[in-house]
Amino acid sequence: MSAVRKKLLFDIGSTYFKVAENGTIRHWFRDFNRPIFEDLMDKCGDLVAKYRPEEIQICSSANGGLSTLIIGISNSFSLKYAINIAFNSGINIIDTVLYHEIERATPPVETIDVVIIVGGIDGVGGIFDEKLIGFLEKCTFQNIVYVGSADERNFLSGHIRRLVVLENIITEKLKINERALKTYLTDLYQADIMGKEDIKQLYEITANQIFSTPYVVNRALPFISRRLDVTDPFIVIDIGGATTDIHYSRDLVSDNITGEGGYDRLVFKKLGVYKSRESLVHTARQNEFVYELLNHLNVTENVLEEESEAATKVLMQLAIFLVLYKVSRHHSEYVELKLENLNNIVLTGGITKVLEKEDAETIIRFFYKKLLHFHQIPEIVLDRNYEIWTYGMQAILENNEATKELP
Amino acid sequence: MSLFRREREIITRNEYVDHFDFDEIEEFVKNASKELFISHRFKTSDAMQVQPRGGFPTYEKVFRLYEEFKEAGVDVLPLTIDSNTRLNDYATAKKMLALSEENDVDMLNGYPLINHGYRTTRKMITHFDTPVSLRHGTPDARLLVEMALASGIFEIEGGPITYLLPYSKNFPLDKAFLYWKYVEKVCALYSKLNEPINRESFGPLSATLQPPAIVIVIQIIEMLLSLEEGVKSFSVSFSQTGSMIQDVVTANVIRKLSRRYADMFGHHDADIHLVYHQWMGAFPYNKEFSDALITASTVIAAMVGADKIITKTRNEAFGIPTKEANARAVASVKYTLGMLKGLPNVSDEEEEENLTNMVNEIMEAVLNDSADTLWRKVFNAIKKGHIEIPFSPHVINANEVITIRDPQENIRILERGKLPISDRSFAFERSKIRLKEGERVVDKIIKDIGIMQ
Repeated sequence: MSAVRKKLLFDIGSTYFKVAENGTIRHWFRDFNRPIFEDLMDKCGDLVAKYRPEEIQICSSANGGLSTLIIGISNSFSLKYAINIAFNSGINIIDTVLYHEIERATPPVETIDVVIIVGGIDGVGGIFDEKLIGFLEKCTFQNIVYVGSADERNFLSGHIRRLVVLENIITEKLKINERALKTYLTDLYQADIMGKEDIKQLYEITANQIFSTPYVVNRALPFISRRLDVTDPFIVIDIGGATTDIHYSRDLVSDNITGEGGYDRLVFKKLGVYKSRESLVHTARQNEFVYELLNHLNVTENVLEEESEAATKVLMQLAIFLVLYKVSRHHSEYVELKLENLNNIVLTGGITKVLEKEDAETIIRFFYKKLLHFHQIPEIVLDRNYEIWTYGMQAILENNEATKELP
Repeated sequence: MSLFRREREIITRNEYVDHFDFDEIEEFVKNASKELFISHRFKTSDAMQVQPRGGFPTYEKVFRLYEEFKEAGVDVLPLTIDSNTRLNDYATAKKMLALSEENDVDMLNGYPLINHGYRTTRKMITHFDTPVSLRHGTPDARLLVEMALASGIFEIEGGPITYLLPYSKNFPLDKAFLYWKYVEKVCALYSKLNEPINRESFGPLSATLQPPAIVIVIQIIEMLLSLEEGVKSFSVSFSQTGSMIQDVVTANVIRKLSRRYADMFGHHDADIHLVYHQWMGAFPYNKEFSDALITASTVIAAMVGADKIITKTRNEAFGIPTKEANARAVASVKYTLGMLKGLPNVSDEEEEENLTNMVNEIMEAVLNDSADTLWRKVFNAIKKGHIEIPFSPHVINANEVITIRDPQENIRILERGKLPISDRSFAFERSKIRLKEGERVVDKIIKDIGIMQ
């Protein structure tokens, strides 16, 4: 622990800066009109000046996300399906192009992180031609993926460099098959998190590696019980401005997953309540339980369109529900957790500034009753001061110190 | 203020609604003429009620249509709503209504009730003082139904399954259930003020090769969901199958089981009625054959003792029928019904037993789902394919059941998909099917589309 007292810790979130110094944590709301570094130095410059770069440790989740352009052949199937998958994977959609209108479409001026091309069921050919190649030549993109009819793969692979070909997202019954594209987009997002310019600039004040906040929070899990009243198995739900992460004990998973620590995490991009509010609402509207849930909270669905404090509170409650839903047996796309075995649910992140314990309890009670048919719920712990990330930092620093002392 | 009231205020505070006064509407419903309530007509008349279809964009045209219908002796007037309103696109409906009024050309395929407003529409409804049935096909009919009831339209057709799976591809089913729950609640609320508002399910579904077992299950479910919210008058329905004996068997079973399930759920005080739709598939191009088909449908409706018949016209194969063709059909059906007194009771015990078993087997699977509400049990059943509508375009529909006709033109289940019907029941269905040497099922199904042509 001594190592930590000499350090200044920062968590650069998408909505708040959090600073921990000598066990005291302070928060600043971010100014979205300014670059992260400039805003941080304006608010904490004096503090930073008191420490050497070796004494400053930073973690961040503010990478901004990925952007995509989707080219499809119909609004009803290919575009709609790809938009849905992109949203669910936490990707920002810059533009969509209907293929039969591609000659009239304006290529985006900005650099696109990933272009998605989709169209037709397997067995249908002759969909794409030189018009597509011509359009792509006018675009700047980092990655490109094809998820349409198998009959078009040869033509597209022969004309587009670095094209990644995945299985068709449209099944022969015209239903959505999202697994492969979703995994691809999610992996791309993970790879991107540390590479953004905004984050790189922070290296001017630290000589240490900048970690991603979900990584740091995950490292805190084995130590949480020292500071908070929790018992294994438990989960930590970190609901921030842009993302929602869930950290869980491996005991809660039946799958044979091999990995390092005893805890794992899932990151739900675009389930935040400020920066990714729109996609949180989109996800909520698609959830089959949400309308009953709103009714349970005694609000109408119009609350999803409101910009009030009350609406933000409901959105935060929705975020808790949606995360639990996504790891429950009702949803096969993510890891399924044995939620019925949980002893504690720890809530951390920006959510703890808005919700009271009973607000969280209401929603969790609804989830357990409605989806699991349980009347008892796990004990809820609110990380009111949002200090869990500091335990993770301590763990990392202690580990570094110990490593240094090794012969 | 209750959440429901708050929701109603938000729904009716729509930019295309120029005025909505809850107190005034309540007062109107309380004092409305009994003649506007089909539930009252069902109670006081033994005659089969005859109802055509129809709706035009402008007020004047609907008014003239109603005049024509009244002259032909209609019992129940229809109000068919346009497709834009059905999709909640009131902006387009408004533009098209203006164009229709300016140019005297029908730019909409029905009446845009929201844009006309309830005060205008009420003038027409009360003028004719005859029950009007709202026909629409809208999954989110909350505003439409508020406006209809405020206008004096006291029969509302549709339901979360029957107005969704056959009509829509992507609209979320869970939303449809909850939006229809709202509709049922409003109907139940107004039912307390005067005579009951009648709710009617839409039995024809996708109108092609619909097996009676599925039709009946869905009718019973929509009835239970409606009664659960407090509705007291409900009509189950089905359409002519193309086999006279299958129609008779279907009517006997649907009547018996809808009452049984209503009672099982404690709705002893609910009135349940039977509606028969004349042929809903493709009509012949020969108008005399159409007349014959309509007459045959009318005879069957009389044989099954329907409380109401919904008519078709001899012009059906040629587009939207004129008001004259519609009125002629009403007069013709009324005339035929006049001849059909004292018909013998017909039944087929073996067929009735098998159909009853299949309905009960599916219902048992639905009701055994672990969900805590009926609508979610049904929702889960559809997701699992325990209920599906053959040839439905909706993405949630399993589309695994295949139906074809047997040599007597009865609709039979050839592939049961995930329908939870027993091997015994399924074997009975399969035993009736005869496929000729080399005959392909797909050809038989395609041919069936033009079976009456």
